[in-house]
Amino acid sequence: MIRFENVRKQYGDNIVLKDISFHIEPGEFVVLIGPSGCGKTTTLKSINRLIVPEGGKIYVDGKDISKIDPVQLRRGIGYVIQQIGLFPNMTIEQNIGVVPKRLDYSKEEITKITKDLMKMVGMDYDQYANKYPSQLSGGQQQRIGVLRALAASPPIVLMDEPFGALDPMTRTVLQKEILSLQKKLKKTIVFVTHDMDEALDLADKIIFMNEGNIAQIASPEEMLNNPASDMIRDFMRNTSISAERLDLTAGDFTKSDVVTAYKDKSIRAATDIMARNKIDSLVIKNDDGTYAGVVTIKAIRRHGKSTGTIGDLKPYENITASIKEDAKKTFDKFYDSPDNFIVVLNEDNTVAGFITKSSMAIAMADTLWGDM
Amino acid sequence: MNFFNIYGERLISAIQTHLFYVFTSVGIGLLVALILGILLSRVPQYAKIIMPILSIFQTIPGIVFIGLLFLILGMVPITVITALSIYAVFPILKNTYTGLLDVDPALIEAAKGSGMSPMESLIEVELPLALTSIFAGLKMSTIYTVNWAVLAAMIGLGGLGEFIYIGITSNDNQMILAGAIPSAIMAILLSLLIDFVSHLIIPKGLRRVG
Repeated sequence: MIRFENVRKQYGDNIVLKDISFHIEPGEFVVLIGPSGCGKTTTLKSINRLIVPEGGKIYVDGKDISKIDPVQLRRGIGYVIQQIGLFPNMTIEQNIGVVPKRLDYSKEEITKITKDLMKMVGMDYDQYANKYPSQLSGGQQQRIGVLRALAASPPIVLMDEPFGALDPMTRTVLQKEILSLQKKLKKTIVFVTHDMDEALDLADKIIFMNEGNIAQIASPEEMLNNPASDMIRDFMRNTSISAERLDLTAGDFTKSDVVTAYKDKSIRAATDIMARNKIDSLVIKNDDGTYAGVVTIKAIRRHGKSTGTIGDLKPYENITASIKEDAKKTFDKFYDSPDNFIVVLNEDNTVAGFITKSSMAIAMADTLWGDM
Repeated sequence: MNFFNIYGERLISAIQTHLFYVFTSVGIGLLVALILGILLSRVPQYAKIIMPILSIFQTIPGIVFIGLLFLILGMVPITVITALSIYAVFPILKNTYTGLLDVDPALIEAAKGSGMSPMESLIEVELPLALTSIFAGLKMSTIYTVNWAVLAAMIGLGGLGEFIYIGITSNDNQMILAGAIPSAIMAILLSLLIDFVSHLIIPKGLRRVG
């Protein structure tokens, strides 16, 4: 859908993009993240030619965008900015209709689009369509900002820190809305943020940038599990560190829908359970329900036979945490461990649940901002 | 009342002439100022040099300027209108220019990002947002022009200035007031008219919501 090939941008001697290359698949939610000045916004704005790079090529939908008229190009790409940028001289409906009007949609069509879109974010058409932006709250305004970008149903939507200026509560709500809009409308979204929690929450793929280079491209899980550098690790830690101030325990982040099996289960049945649940490891319990370890699909394959019980396998000693443990301690322990998840145990050593790295970050965000 | 019996007709014709000068000059001034203001706002780096130079014009006393033009163009209405138009330009020009530059850059970026051409962005976003400022300039220009138009009489071209000049030379206070009061009222009425028109034209969304 979008492809960068050795794209370079410089202002005088200052090189802001150093020959970066990447590609984005149709329907992907890609988050560009990194410290300020890393080139993430420059990258975003190169896609709709608000910024023109000095070197390299950018392809949108297979076409070299340097050969497309920028005005035409932008009408096919939605654009949302941090400052919201609703036109104060236009009503909400006129704002949403800005791009469709350029594309010669009829008035009736624009009204229909406006109604449908406003319904999706739970705003009443009759109540708001004829209001002016200044009569709306910040959160409502940015909802309209997002709808404006979607109005002419562009396949691609660019978002430049769209929720950066909103209060945390509103931000969480809008993040959820944008995810559900994305699921419904299957847009390719490129989203810039400096907030790691937001990136983990929203992205299918995170592109981590630093000083004009791409430091890592990975799924949220993978980035949490295998950050490519200490810098990325620190960045992720810093954005989540605020949990320290709250008295949170491991239990606060535990997902209880853990898939477990008793030791005496047959290996065949165990692999079955794993396949059905689409997981690659199973938490094993002793006969008295206490935690015995973890069996991975790898271990079963190594074992080579499908006969016998999983008790015959040597269980992997996965990292564990007590449910009452201080969350910060759990988090640090978890970060330094190679394991993909941490098993949370009740005080009587029975299994309470598990925490993945991304679920920890997401749960922490919810806890900090309050559940809406 | 005797005064009006004698001078009534002349007064009305003077008011008409005066209004003609004001409308024509402000009209021309507005047009020139809008075009110049828009052009200068596209090149703010040059405007920083050009604007102060233009503002020097404003400091030349009207009496000198009209006198100079009189020598060049002669005793024709065009002399008065040229001079008044030039004076009318600057307040509108300045307000158009600053009004356009004051538009939030984020809005211009949003317009551009939404696929508006520079012209569409100007007409649909930037100019509407600059209207409040442009109207303020227009009002200032109009009030100034009503006053400056008094000078037309100096070169014998009528308007309310005629009464004032006759009054001054003949030491007749009644005559002075007969010229001064209508021009003051004219300034007030015209500025009210501009307020009214601006209320109709400036988009509702830009008014302060109470």
